[in-house]
Parts: sequence; structure tokens; C-alpha cells
Amino acid sequence: MNRSHKVIILGALAWLAAVSPAGAQSKAWDILREIVLVPGVSGHEGPVADFLRSRLPAGLKSERDAMNNVWFTVGSGRPHLLFVAHSDELGWVVDSITPDGRVRVKSGGGILPQTVEARPVRIHTGRGDVSGIVSPRPGYDERTPPDEAQEAPFTADRFEIYLGVATEADARALGVAEGDTVTAKKFLTDFAPGLMATRAVDDRAGCAALLDAALRLRPETIKGRTITFAWDVQEETGLSGAAELAKTLKPDYVFAIDTFVSTDSPLESKRLAHLPVGKGAVLRAIDSSNITPKTQILKALAIARKRGIPVQVGNSRGGNDGSVFLAGGAVDIPLSWPGSYAHSLIEKIDRRDLEALTNLILALVSDWK
Amino acid sequence: MAHRMTRTLALAAGLAWMAAAVEATDVKTLTKELFAVPSTTGNEDMLAAKIRGLLPKGVAVEEDGLGTIAVRFGGAPGPILILAALDGYGHIVSGITPEGYLTLDRPVPPPHARFDAFLLGQPVVISTARGPVQGVIAQPALHLLTQERRRTLVEGFSLENAYVDIAVRSEKEARAKGIEILDAVTYPAVLTELAGEHWAGPVLGLKAAASGLIAVTESLAGRSGGEEVIIAWAAQTKFMARGRGARPAVGAMRAKTKWQPKRTIVIDVISAGKGDGFPFPGGGPVLIRSKDEPSALRKAVEAAAAAVGAPLQLVTAPDAPMALPFGGPDAEAVTLALPVRFLHTPSEVVAIQDLKALRDILERFLQTGGGK
Repeated sequence: MNRSHKVIILGALAWLAAVSPAGAQSKAWDILREIVLVPGVSGHEGPVADFLRSRLPAGLKSERDAMNNVWFTVGSGRPHLLFVAHSDELGWVVDSITPDGRVRVKSGGGILPQTVEARPVRIHTGRGDVSGIVSPRPGYDERTPPDEAQEAPFTADRFEIYLGVATEADARALGVAEGDTVTAKKFLTDFAPGLMATRAVDDRAGCAALLDAALRLRPETIKGRTITFAWDVQEETGLSGAAELAKTLKPDYVFAIDTFVSTDSPLESKRLAHLPVGKGAVLRAIDSSNITPKTQILKALAIARKRGIPVQVGNSRGGNDGSVFLAGGAVDIPLSWPGSYAHSLIEKIDRRDLEALTNLILALVSDWK
Repeated sequence: MAHRMTRTLALAAGLAWMAAAVEATDVKTLTKELFAVPSTTGNEDMLAAKIRGLLPKGVAVEEDGLGTIAVRFGGAPGPILILAALDGYGHIVSGITPEGYLTLDRPVPPPHARFDAFLLGQPVVISTARGPVQGVIAQPALHLLTQERRRTLVEGFSLENAYVDIAVRSEKEARAKGIEILDAVTYPAVLTELAGEHWAGPVLGLKAAASGLIAVTESLAGRSGGEEVIIAWAAQTKFMARGRGARPAVGAMRAKTKWQPKRTIVIDVISAGKGDGFPFPGGGPVLIRSKDEPSALRKAVEAAAAAVGAPLQLVTAPDAPMALPFGGPDAEAVTLALPVRFLHTPSEVVAIQDLKALRDILERFLQTGGGK
């Protein structure tokens, strides 16, 4: 055995000791399949915060603020590493109820409106969930296509959600009220074991990976560094949760965990972001909100390689919560998985990528200097 | 004595209520059973097999080469035909790309211009000979969507840019999953229960109507006397015969030729809010008349509805392709339809009370001689 082999083996043993007792198996996939179904439209993440806190080990003293940001910190000293995933999902908010009992929503949503036309949704009321159908646009069933130039775009502010009732009073009797949130009904497409597509993988996969890492973490082994894991809110509507955290947390490095918008799809140009699903976690070097210095990417890549963790590097679009901490002096190194069909009902993810992401988080906790 | 009579009456009422409750449960259960089974024109075999399995034990099932199935209840020559469709609108696998994506076609023209557009970004199920395979219809990622791509890939979405992603990397891998050309591609059978016993789901109207007929066969099992009754579920009702003039549905045309019915009730679906009667789910089954003239058959259906206390909505409309073959100088036909909201979308809405009323009307109609 030569010296370099010894170094690798000792390093691996040290890493295993730091992250988990007896190499605990990743539970990230099972966590994802649960947490993806928990409703949490931006600004209404309470149920997700409840879920997270109920699953965090009792020994990790987590905090929760009024916005429903959840976080815990272990260790002490510098550097301070912050790992953050956002707990909110895309969806709508009830704006009004029409006299004939249809529900209207506020504009926005972040999902192509066409993909929820004539599709089921769930309204999360104070008395439980109520099912509805987004009415197809008037005249959808004409034999000839409407003149696109004449037709108003099908946008969220044209949604009329049908509940099976005919009056406003009946809709209210179901518990529906202004301010309730609305999400698309979620369906898990299982392509194969460990390979699925559904709504809200963005960013519940990040949440699941971070929670799994928290469950495998051995805080007592963390010396000479501060580690914070955070699940923040309202990323999709302007990084507001991260901004709130940034008032008190001053990390040196922030690892934002969020979707890498992959072009691994038949409709996309392969000019950029062509990181295949199933080929490992992702270092999201450049996006619309942050440019990670290449030196930092190489540093993270070296740690991953040392551990045998499959990692891809790419540039794409979209923003991430870590960018909020740039002004405070942090370096943002976003971590990810290759996600086809981002912001859709069919966000695709591979278990191997998710577990590689969890392992990458734990490796960075252990080895980042 | 009075006390005992009161108890007996209460018990009888309780039993009657329980019987009614069991019946009501059955029609819903039947609908759920059929709802789970895909069926598109040319791929009706799975639904036909499911219906066969749900029919009363001991009834002989007839089948034709296209996949139509029927049961015959003996009696005096007639016959009375009650006919529903077996096939819904859907898609088929038309090709596999070298990268393993599936391309799509339709076996029949779409029911409306936006039919294919509903596929964008949706989960689907491919029914292969080796079982269902789950997939999704690719959509562009929102973050990478330019105005030009939005125009072509979203607003202009069509089968030309519809690809089914089944998470494989090659044609070989796709075939290894059992995928073959012509496999049916449908939306997953996800049922959404709305308020007021309104149910929603893909191709739900067709499945509900077909389940109503299964319930009717249960009431006919063991029947003796009366006129011969044929209950049929026809394949290829969305495919129209070629030729000039009115084009009947192929499945209906063959049913006419095979059984030569004197009286026919076509069980169909009708879009809510369409036609002169503006029918709506929950308002009762819809009696569609091709002309506003009374006929013995129509009167018998109306009388049956009145007898069971079922509301009936009326619409005057030209015969649909399902009904076209059955008119004539010595034959009568009417169409009784379930009103369906959002017809031919991924979320067809049906009122369960309409389905129960449809079943009750048909049972009563047949009990009272079928309008002879």
C-alpha cells in the first residue's frame, strides 16, 4: 500500500465517522417522496416547517422564525458554512369566489398555465383540502382552432376553478376563502425504482437531501468550524426567506441546494446545461444570480472525487438563495441535481443523483476548508 | 302488537335503505373499476375484458372481430338494443426515436382543436403487452423559455413536438420495457372527487356510461319472458365510416347490421352547456332527440324516468355518429346521454346522481316492456 492509498483510506474513514454511525443508509429518496406531497406555497410554508422539525434529530436544537424559516447550527469557529434549501413551492392564492361558485386566483404561479388547464388542483383551506378542476378556456372544444392572435393568453388570472358547486355560498360552505393556497394535484410518475417525476421536486429534493444529511450528521465530530443547515421560505417569490436569514447569519461559504435546470430533454437545445439525469450531483457554477469562482468549483470537485461521489459541473439559468449572502461577504457555491422539466408538473429526478447530493453535502461539511 | 309492527316496518325500511345504499355503492364501484382501465379506438381489448369480468356470472358474452362485446337476454324476437361505447379518444405510440423518446399519433381525428394541446407536460401511461409503462410528455423548462420558444413549443404545441419521456436512453431500452408501435397512450387514471358527488377524470363520461350498462345487466340476469334485449359495448365508435354524406360510427354501423334492432337506445355523453337544453351534470340524463316529434320509444323512456322519479334533460340535436345507423322507417332510436362537464379534456366531470338515474331509467324501461 503506498502513501496516497493510505491517505485516501484514512480520509474515507474519517469522513464516515463524521457523517454517520456505521455508514447509515441514505433516506433521502423516501423523505423526498413524502415531503414532496406536503403543501407549502410561497408564504405558506408552515406545513413543511412542521414536517422538517418533526423529522430533525432531537439533539439538534433547531430554530424557527415567524416566516417559517427553520435552521440549526452546530460546531464553532471559522469557517462558517451555510447549507440552505428552500421549502416553498409554486402555486396560487385564492383571490375571489364568483357568484356561481368558481374560484379565481391571483396572477402568477410560476408554472405554465396551459399545463394545469382542465387539470385537478387542491385548495388548502383552514378546514382541510378541497379538490377542484381548473376550467378549460371557453370554447376549448370548438372543432377549429381559435385564431391565436385574437385569443387572450391563458394565464392564471383567467383560471376559474370548478369545485362541483353552483353558488358562492356553497363554495364557502366547503371552507374555501380568499387567501387559501392552491397547488396542482400531485401525481408521482415512477419510471422505474429510483426514478420519478412529479411536481415540487424543486426544491423538496434539496430539502430532502439536507434533512437526510442532518440525520446522518454527527455534530460532536465537527471541530474548528461552524455548520448551519437551513430550510428557508419564499425563494420562488424573491428570495425573501434567505434575506431574513442573512440579517443574522454571516457565513463565509453558502451552499444553496436547488434545482439545476438541465437540458436533458428532447425539446431543449444542448448548447448549455446538458447534464444528464442519473449521472450524479451538480455543482451549479453559473446561473442568473451567481457566478462561483472556478477555483471554488475545482475545490469542491476535488473533495467529491476524493470520496468517489459522482458530480457534474454546469451552467444554467435561474437564481438561488445563496446569492443573497454575497453582499455579506460569503462565497456562493450552489449544489444541485440535474433536473429535467423544471417548474412543471413532471420535474424529473434520479435517486442516485439525490443520494450523491447528500453525500456531497456531508463531504463538504467534513472536508471544506 | 303495534310495537312489533312498528319494529317490522322500521326493519323493512332499514333493509330497503341498505339495499339502495348497496346499489348506489355498486354503480360507483363499477365506475371506478372501469375508470382504471385504458381504452382507445383499436385498443379496446383491456376494457372489454374488464367488463366481461364484471358481468353477472353465467351470461354468455358475444364478441365481434373489432372487439365489440354484448350480452343477450332471451325473449320474444325484437330485439331491443342498448348500446354504449367501448373506446375513448386517446393516442398511440407511432415511433421510437434513437434516444428512446416515443412519438405519438391518434387513431382517429381529435374531438376538438385543443385535444392534443392538453398533453403538454403531463404524466401518461403506455399500455404495453407486458403491462403499463409510466412516462411524461416533455415540456420546455420555464427558465430557458424564450418568447420564440414559447410561441412554438407552448402556444403551438402539437403532436409534431410531443415526445414521451419514459426515462430510457435508446430505442433498445424502450423496447426492452415492452414498448411497441400502436400501444395506447392515455392519462393516468387519477380520479378527483369534487363536491356534491361530482367526479372528475380522463374519459370518465365513457367509463361511467359503460358501467351503467353493467348495472343494468345485473338487473336483467335471471329475467324470463319479455322481449329480447341486447346490451352491447361497441368498439370503434370514434371512427367514422368513409364515404359521402353522413358518416356513422363504424362500431355502431356493425351493431345495426349484426342485430337489426327494432328499438335502440344509444348511451352516449354530451357536453354540458351545449345544445338547446343547456344540459348540466346533476340535472339528470339527457334525452337527445333528432327532431321534435314524439315517438313510442321516446315516450317510453320519458315514462320510465317519471316512474323512477329521475329528472330528464331534453336536447334537440342531429343524430351523433353513434346513433346514425339506427333510424329508419321501421326502427326507432333515441340517445340517452350523460351530461359531462369539460368533455374530452383530462378532467371530464360527471355527476354520480345522473349515472344512478340513467341506470334506474333503463332498468324501469326494460321492466315495463321496452316501449313496445
